[in-house]
Amino acid sequence: MAREKGSVRKNFLKGILTENPLFVSILGTCPALATTKTLEAALGMGLLFTIVLICSNVLVSLLRKIIPEEIRTPAYIVIIATFVTMVKMFTNAFLPELYSTLGVFISLIVVNCIVLGRAEAYASKNGPFDSLIDALGMGVGYTLAIMLMAFFRELLGTGGFTFGKVFTFIPETPLIIPGIESYTISLFQTPVGAFIVFAIILAIIAFIKNRKAELKANLAKQEKAKKLAEAQAMAAKQAEGGNK
Amino acid sequence: MPNAKKYILTGVTLGCIAAVAAGLIAVTNLITAKKIAQNEIDAVNKGIASIFGDSEIKNEGKVSGHDYVTYYYQVDYKNSELEMHGYAFKCEGSNMYGKVSLIAGFDQKSNFMSLYLIKNEQTYASTLVDKYVVPLNDAESSKKDEALDDVSCGATYGAKLVREMINDAKAASSEFWSK
Repeated sequence: MAREKGSVRKNFLKGILTENPLFVSILGTCPALATTKTLEAALGMGLLFTIVLICSNVLVSLLRKIIPEEIRTPAYIVIIATFVTMVKMFTNAFLPELYSTLGVFISLIVVNCIVLGRAEAYASKNGPFDSLIDALGMGVGYTLAIMLMAFFRELLGTGGFTFGKVFTFIPETPLIIPGIESYTISLFQTPVGAFIVFAIILAIIAFIKNRKAELKANLAKQEKAKKLAEAQAMAAKQAEGGNK
Repeated sequence: MPNAKKYILTGVTLGCIAAVAAGLIAVTNLITAKKIAQNEIDAVNKGIASIFGDSEIKNEGKVSGHDYVTYYYQVDYKNSELEMHGYAFKCEGSNMYGKVSLIAGFDQKSNFMSLYLIKNEQTYASTLVDKYVVPLNDAESSKKDEALDDVSCGATYGAKLVREMINDAKAASSEFWSK
């Protein structure tokens, strides 16, 4: 089956931009608020989430013609829970620091609306390759979104970033941003700070969207006025020709 | 009986999915079990080192008859060049906010020294650490009991659980020294 040119790219990018699960669909907010205290924890959460999303999307897509309609949701939950359990065990074994940092939020990926939502809305209706690209786009989009939140929370809350605390295979490197360290606001390290950062980012996105819509409307108006003027000029010309 | 066939097919499909899921988890467990067990041993050793500093485990074993204490570790350690003896206890417990597993260290007089969190699966995990565990560990020896009782920290239920675990370990330490 021939794929439309650029459709893969479009499918991938929609998860990052136009259909970003966190900033556009407002899904998966619970872990986004809880695991964005540090950039490293957010990256870890994003990676685990992406792995679960890819695996479950591909498997759901492969089994979409086998799973009877009546047991679709329980079957999807069993599939997702299996991958979450596997990811949890691997993290506990090979990245124990990440495991203890994320704690209960690894298990909570099972009930993340994005994972079940993509299985139900996309993977159950599309082929494995498209589902893989969709999951990859959504996963990367979610990871980037929570990393953006973590960037501001860690920077404003601690005055810099610390690497190597969660991913212990890299040496611990504190990165202090000069000028900010004396003006840190510890509120940003608390759940309240997470809400504030999330709200500000959503407000900025809404502002940009509205501005874009306004510009588009203005452009359309101008275009319409231009066309009207052209039509009037043409009509006047025709009337002039008729008189002669 | 078209319905019966449908029901059987539905049950068989769900059963197959569950069986494959169980198989996958079993294989993952086979791969990770040893590493997880080793990580737990490392965490205990790290916890004992963080409480007692330069130390050596002389004896260890299971503890029964306590609500939270599961293991004991008899530790020899150095304090200002003096050879000291102490006990560390591994405690495990949970509440509605999740599991906690820790190592609590006690000196020869069963005075609480400090604790090391092995596993903290509380919903308010970081609040528990920042507002209760760190101040408790940093408190001077004379103010440890006061810090232990000060559980109003934003993760109060977690702090109460930790306090109960430490008190249980303290009782175990007194029992061990009285033997």
